[in-house]
This record gives sequence, structure tokens and C-alpha cells, in this order.
Amino acid sequence: MPISTVELEGGITRVILEGRLDIEGAAAVDMPMNVIAGTKKFVLVDMEKVSFLGSMGLRALVAPARAIKGRGGKIVIFGPNEMVEKVLKSSGVDTLIPVHHELQNAIAALQ
Amino acid sequence: MTANGPDSADETLNLQSRISDLAQVPAWIERLAPRFSIPDSTQFAINLCLEEVLSNTIRHGYAGQPGHPIAIRFSKPREDYFLFVVEDHAAPFNPVDSPELPPISSLDESAVGGQGIRLLRQFADGLEYHPTPSGNRLFIGFSSVNSPAAKN
Repeated sequence: MPISTVELEGGITRVILEGRLDIEGAAAVDMPMNVIAGTKKFVLVDMEKVSFLGSMGLRALVAPARAIKGRGGKIVIFGPNEMVEKVLKSSGVDTLIPVHHELQNAIAALQ
Repeated sequence: MTANGPDSADETLNLQSRISDLAQVPAWIERLAPRFSIPDSTQFAINLCLEEVLSNTIRHGYAGQPGHPIAIRFSKPREDYFLFVVEDHAAPFNPVDSPELPPISSLDESAVGGQGIRLLRQFADGLEYHPTPSGNRLFIGFSSVNSPAAKN
């Protein structure tokens, strides 16, 4: 699963995930997400291009979120499609990592 | 649940108990989708449920040991219904009756681990379990009428 980052104003890191966050995808982003979680404080996980999210993918989100929040940081999810968001809601992850569909709102939540 | 009906051509995917074999599933669903008119949201639900069931079978049922068979049989018993039957020779496990963890309420990673069964029950329209003399048989049904996108 491709993962890339863009630094936004205000010290926000936009992490862009593309494709399937299944078992294979989760394994592929595990290390880079851990690096981001250990070094960045305000993280926007851009899931606009994520086509699938399974329970292993949830771990790939929750573990970094835990690290970021533990360091006093913030993390949000931006732009999941309808089915991906249903997984986030069904699992309760959306109560731990806020979900936004407007970029400005996602950025504001990190400031 | 039975596999009889006007459009009940069977398709079977045979896997070995390797996590890497799970990569065959999305491609298989993609091949089935246009032939059997499986909507996008239903494909998502199918992929989600099969990933949960198969990964649990491999990691727990077969204790991570490779080289054991898992068969997934597809049929379309009626116009708006898709049926997948997962059969293995693993240790008995009934996901229909096993306790379901509540939604995640903390960032404790261990809380994430139990979400697979919850997601299976939320995204499948029908679940039926039968033990077999050598393992397990799980029927997973999906209705395109009750699309997952419309469910709460």
C-alpha cells in the first residue's frame, strides 16, 4: 500500500494512504506509520484513496494514534469513503480518531 | 442456506493456510463481480468478511501452520443473494456463537483485536455454522437488496 506524507502549515503532517488497508496493506504501512507516530505531533490521515479497510487495517490506525496521543499530539482521519467509514463506525474507531470530510475542518481539529 | 437456484453456478477458490494466500481473494471477487452483478458495496462487505474469517482460520484454527486447505465456494442462489461457504479442516470454531467484544472505546491495541467477529456480523446478511467431521463449514450470505451501505 503506497503511503506518502505532505507537511502542511501549522506543523500538520498529512499522511496519504492509497489502496487496500487489508492484512497486506497494514503490514506495508506499519513501519512508516510507526515512524510518523514517533516523530510527528499533528497528523491528518488522508483516506480519500483508501478502497478497503479491514480489522488489521484498524490496528494500523489505532497503534499510531495511541503513540501520537500519548505524546500530547492529535490525529484525525480525513475523507474515508462510505464503506470505509462504516468500518470505522462499526468498530468504534471513529470515537477515538475523529473523522472529517471537509479538509478545513480536519485541519482545524488539529490546531 | 442452500446453494440451489436459477443462477447457482458454483465457483470455488482453494487456498492454503498462508496469510499471503489471502491476496487471491480480492482478485477472485473482482472476477465474480461482473459475471454475477455483485454491487460495489456488497463486494466490500464480502472482502471484509472473508478476510476476517480466513485470517482467523489461518492464525487460530490452523495455529499459523501453512499447508492446510481452506475452500471457499460461491453461489448465487437467487437474484439478489450471494452465498459463500468457507470450509476447513481446522480446530472447531463457531464465529456465530462466540462472544462479541463491544466497539473499541480506548486506544488499547488489545481492544482492536476482537473487532473481526463484530465486523463479520455487521457486514454479513446471514451467517450459519456447521461443524464437519474434520473441521468447520461457515455459510456467509450477502444481499444486494439490503446493501451494507444502507445498514446502520
